[in-house]
Amino acid sequence: MFDRRDFLKFIGGGAVGTLATPVIWQGLDDVSIWTQNWPWIPRIDKGNNKNVYVRTTSKLCPSAAGLRVRLVNGRPVRALGDVDHPLSRGGLSALAAAEVQLLYSPARLRRPLKRSDDGTYVAISWDEAQSILTEKLAAAKAQKSLFCLSGDENGTMNEVLSALTARAGSNDFYMMPSDAQSTAAAWRAMGGTGRVGYDFANSDYVLAVGAGVLENWGPVVANRRAWGQARPADGKLAMRVAYAGPMQNNTAAGADLWLPVRPGADTAFLLGLVHELAASGSVPEGFAPLKDLAAKWDAEHAAAVAGIAPASIVRVAKELREAKAPLVIVGSETGQGCPAAPVILGIALNIMLGRLNRDGGMRALPVAAPALEQAMSYDRMMQQDFMAAAAAMAAGKRAAPALFLAYEANPVYAMPAPGVDKLIEDAGFSVSFSCFLDETARRCDLVLPAAMGLERFDDVVTPYGVGEAVYALSVPVARPLFEARAAGDVLLTCAANAEMKLGFSSYLNVLRAKVRRIGGVEWETLLKGECAVTRRVEPVLELALPMQILKEAAQAVPDKPAKGALAVATVTKRAFGTPDSGLPPFATKLVGKDIAGSALTARMNRATAEKAGLREGQMIRLSAGKASIPAKVVLFEGVAQDSVALAAGFGHTDFDSFNDGKGANVMRLFSVVEEPGTGLAVWSCPDVTVAKA
Amino acid sequence: MVIDLDKCTGCGSCMVACQAENNVAPAEDGTNRIKTLNWMTVYQLSNGKTFPEHDTAYLPRPCMQCGKPSCVSVCPVVATAKDENGGIVSQITPRCIGCRYCMASCPYHARYFNWHDPVWPAGMEKTLTPDVSVRPRGVVEKCTFCHHRWQAAKDAAYAQNRDPMKLPEDAYQTACTKACPNGAITFGDVKNPAHKVHQLVKSPNAFRLLERLGTEPQVWYMSRREWVRRLGDNYLNNEITKG
Repeated sequence: MFDRRDFLKFIGGGAVGTLATPVIWQGLDDVSIWTQNWPWIPRIDKGNNKNVYVRTTSKLCPSAAGLRVRLVNGRPVRALGDVDHPLSRGGLSALAAAEVQLLYSPARLRRPLKRSDDGTYVAISWDEAQSILTEKLAAAKAQKSLFCLSGDENGTMNEVLSALTARAGSNDFYMMPSDAQSTAAAWRAMGGTGRVGYDFANSDYVLAVGAGVLENWGPVVANRRAWGQARPADGKLAMRVAYAGPMQNNTAAGADLWLPVRPGADTAFLLGLVHELAASGSVPEGFAPLKDLAAKWDAEHAAAVAGIAPASIVRVAKELREAKAPLVIVGSETGQGCPAAPVILGIALNIMLGRLNRDGGMRALPVAAPALEQAMSYDRMMQQDFMAAAAAMAAGKRAAPALFLAYEANPVYAMPAPGVDKLIEDAGFSVSFSCFLDETARRCDLVLPAAMGLERFDDVVTPYGVGEAVYALSVPVARPLFEARAAGDVLLTCAANAEMKLGFSSYLNVLRAKVRRIGGVEWETLLKGECAVTRRVEPVLELALPMQILKEAAQAVPDKPAKGALAVATVTKRAFGTPDSGLPPFATKLVGKDIAGSALTARMNRATAEKAGLREGQMIRLSAGKASIPAKVVLFEGVAQDSVALAAGFGHTDFDSFNDGKGANVMRLFSVVEEPGTGLAVWSCPDVTVAKA
Repeated sequence: MVIDLDKCTGCGSCMVACQAENNVAPAEDGTNRIKTLNWMTVYQLSNGKTFPEHDTAYLPRPCMQCGKPSCVSVCPVVATAKDENGGIVSQITPRCIGCRYCMASCPYHARYFNWHDPVWPAGMEKTLTPDVSVRPRGVVEKCTFCHHRWQAAKDAAYAQNRDPMKLPEDAYQTACTKACPNGAITFGDVKNPAHKVHQLVKSPNAFRLLERLGTEPQVWYMSRREWVRRLGDNYLNNEITKG
């Protein structure tokens, strides 16, 4: 009989047997492996793979970082640094590092799209798209009404677009607003020749006001490389940086000194420095009126207005005086432009310090002649004021254009004023040449898929902020994906068909002509990834201080925020992309305290929060006039008093799953104002009121 | 590896480069700390003071490749082991059964679990490098000091009849080291006097995280700022920091 004892023996025997046999354990091991080998998990190419490295320059990242792209069996897989490239010296910005993967972004435009009457988009063939574009160009020429907006910061595509505009009998070629334009406006107001360059790498003390020189300003990769090499981990520090801005951002984190100058008070801080430097030494010839203007801006007064300690101004002035090669760089936090007056003061400080056209100082760089006959000169391009034109058209002071063409630009997202939406709506026909189906493309009648920087021939001509004139080619590492095409070639073809010949049949030929204009370098050398560099400077013979502009700026420093209001400081990180690139899929993990869940964070220090009656984690609405955005309060002590820090680059509405539903677009709070004295259209964010949500 | 915390500005280039080099899938919500895989993670540090005395720093944290790895001793299937030759703590993902014991054991939170199968947007899987296998769900992964680059450097040395265990400094560098524009990361063989790290680890400003746990991490940090060094361990208020 099978009794309890037998049962227990059976169980005991079974337990020992189970432990002794390998079947169970091997079976479990196999199950754990074979339940993981699902077919939807991508396999890599094992075995002998052909690895090729192509040298190029990034068109995506405003820093124009030099890249070596690794190709495996002809496929681009990695963007690596290029130690020999003068615009990077081996490092990579977080945006350039994500560039290869961005080729396959879900937001990538695949084929030409035409807008139907009901607002939906229909895919069309390139033949149809080109014939539409040709027809609209011809119509624009007949009406002498073509409006071109370029998002390219530094390439010869701007010559093609401006020449096209000129051939249509129009003057409406514009570039997206940037610090380059503010700096050019300042230099022009002073009567300067050439264009402003900052020789960061050779400086031993850099004062950056607003400009994020260690994160997103100018040739940031090359500058960070120089800064890092000047500061060995266990050695002497050969370069110091002081950063003046309302937020303790990445630049402030690396800087030796953070001056929490409140938003809008840069002019006060700079005037304080002018006062200190003028008081301790002689001023250059012609600077007496500036010394007079700065007379009342002693350290106490300037510091009180700027919201910092007077000792800081005295310290910075002293450090600038004592440095061997000091350099003052003034810019905006967003990189989208600032008033010209603080830039003029920054340039004035460089002159007072004797740094004009010196190594490690501010250098007047030469500008190469355009390759296309009817292209606008660099100076003229910098003077063209997009926001003013859009505002005039929105206000009915100017007729809307017959044809609006945006090239790799996303003004609907990036520009604060509602004028842009109206401009596109009122235009006879609108075209967007874009890599991604972004907010601007979604408002245009015709959307054309552009080849990305890694998929086309292009160039980089002395990007803004470099200390010496540089020319580099950008070469394709892969064929354009889907049906994307290089915009330059499409435009030249359509222009020729519309009887608007520009003298070149392909963009490659335009680039060859540009290289000939640059002179002194062979096309083949550039194709291999070398750059053309010259240390030549333009002699600066007559400079004048535009005192009227400076006087008006000195009077226009905004007051501290009223009770219940906060001043806005924007935070820009290179990793978050540009308005037309969006946040790359490979950079989503870099979002720190910029976003909380799906809400934009409103960072402020505890004293500010308590004064405003707010606590950590609270949802609020920040309003400027009729515009308002939601945000979540996050306490961070690295924000100036009565200020709130908001990250730029979020709040995309129609981009892709990596971008949508994240935060709010801080630019909604901004509006355009005219700078007194220069007439320059500048962003301004008024103080925001806070409401609990 | 020696990381100069006075040079890290928190840009995240190292994080992006690591992700691209090691075939880590992109995450739609990168702020979900539990579900996001970051072999290299950059933390933000604070000196704890209020405005305007507040100071901040950034700390990139790869796997410490500990000399006495606590994760190795707890793995029930030997999916992780300490390599005596190069000192890299290996992670063999096909062998991992996903028990996550090593994650519980690691004091640096340097190990990450694949809760889901990796998903690449259509076509983006074409940018996978052929050097690092793609991991399925259910396994733990971590920084490997770009072990594949070391393999490639050793192979090249063999092919050229050089000693693979005496590589010149620039023969093997991790992706994060090369990506950093500031040069905050220095990488090399700490036992080789010709490599920079050999000298840097002797600096009075050099420290390791949670040294007193006895894990013997192979990642040193350096800072001239005492408050940064102080954050490297759980110091009592009256204890003096190194350096």
